Amino acid sequence: MEQLTRILTGILHKAARMLPPGRREWAEAVAAEAGQVPPGWPRLRWLAGGLRLVAGEATMMRKTVYWLGIGAVAATAAWVVWLSWRTSPAADAQTVTDRVRVLVGVAALVVLPWVGRRRGWFGPVGSSLTARLVRVAGCAAVCGLGLTVLRMDSHLAPGPHGPGPFSLPREIAALVLLGIAAAALAVVKIRWPDADAGVMWAITGVAGLLVLFTVPLQALVIGLAAGIFAVTSRRSPVADASLAVGVLTGLAVGLTIALAIYELNTPTDRYVDLMLLITFVATLLFAAFAGVAAAWLLPGTGDPQEVRMARTNQGLLAGSVAGAVCGLLLTNFFVVAVFMMIVGPLLGAGGGALGGAVAADHPPRSLPGRSWAAGLFVRF
Amino acid sequence: MSRRTAFSAQTLALLAALATEPSVWRHGYDLARETGLKSGTLYPILVRLADREIVEACWEEDQPAGRPRRHLYRLTTEGLATATAALAAVPAPAARAARPDRAAAPRRLAREGP
Repeated sequence: MEQLTRILTGILHKAARMLPPGRREWAEAVAAEAGQVPPGWPRLRWLAGGLRLVAGEATMMRKTVYWLGIGAVAATAAWVVWLSWRTSPAADAQTVTDRVRVLVGVAALVVLPWVGRRRGWFGPVGSSLTARLVRVAGCAAVCGLGLTVLRMDSHLAPGPHGPGPFSLPREIAALVLLGIAAAALAVVKIRWPDADAGVMWAITGVAGLLVLFTVPLQALVIGLAAGIFAVTSRRSPVADASLAVGVLTGLAVGLTIALAIYELNTPTDRYVDLMLLITFVATLLFAAFAGVAAAWLLPGTGDPQEVRMARTNQGLLAGSVAGAVCGLLLTNFFVVAVFMMIVGPLLGAGGGALGGAVAADHPPRSLPGRSWAAGLFVRF
Repeated sequence: MSRRTAFSAQTLALLAALATEPSVWRHGYDLARETGLKSGTLYPILVRLADREIVEACWEEDQPAGRPRRHLYRLTTEGLATATAALAAVPAPAARAARPDRAAAPRRLAREGP
């Protein structure tokens, strides 16, 4: 018992040091009082309370770290903008395209959270550590995408490479399309207030596709940033466990595919078909596994039919997240894999839905009543 | 229908304990014994009350022999007014529950001794 008390006291002292200076003294106060508490269980309980205090204050620290992360992303975004003006010759038509892409990406990162705060679609960020981490890491990945594009183009000689030089009419056309879509949505909402949500989604989808064909990379970056903010917002339908499973699976499959591509890459592009096959099959399979895991991690209480539906949905969402993360990662490594930013989430959604449906039909066996783990959780 | 106050029952119990002798500096274990609150509940409440400047805190000035210096707490002037108003707004049964009663302190703390 004395040994345990010493260990807990040591942990409390160490944990107190991790708190910000203004909060540290409170944890130290608990430790200072511990000597007055009768030895044995009362003192242990006292020290455990101190650790609970530290854990509670660490939540505040988590918020601070999140805002520091957002600050770092903002600084990186500013650096990318600066690089886009510095690394490539201004005479290169491609440079102008890069600058527009970078500015669009940075604008999406800046404007969407502000929109989300007002309307609640993209923000505020969810309270879990997963949501905060994914949001910061996702924004950093969008900045990484900008850096990749700049790095690639800065090594190329001026000329008509990539998706083509800057075209002012095309950019204007995309903006006009967006304006028309927004106006159409507003008109439908005013004229037919009871209109089905499907109609609104259809208008948004058609407008999105048209913009995607007009200015592909800009539309993708905006869609990507919107997706990151939407899945990590407080109103997100993606459960924390599904988000974590999706992101981890996406990173795993992305890295696996990247390694396979490095191994198979030859100057003659001999194995391109094989690389594509590996990319598609691996994304589909990993997303199916993510779907199974997400479905099983969803608590299964309530109406069995509703639970089944909810599990399938979580499988689909986890698979989509896995596919999107894989696509983003591959595009960061090889810009030519940009098609995976569209194909990845679609394949992931398919695989995830399949895995989720299978897992929903075969729910995990509940833990036996005398299980040590079950007892532990009941006790807590 | 009872009127809701801004403070939880535990916070009211702590405010009541501090308001009994507002000029006296109290330490955490003393307050825990009087209110029956565990350290994991007591200290977060003290932190929030200090953030709102209802409670002021300081370390003992002199180093006592044989034990570390204690962190001490008492109500600020505004805090005393807030506590008095909050306790007065609580319905009678809840106020009785919030008022610290050394004799009725939980058995857990009674076992622990002075």
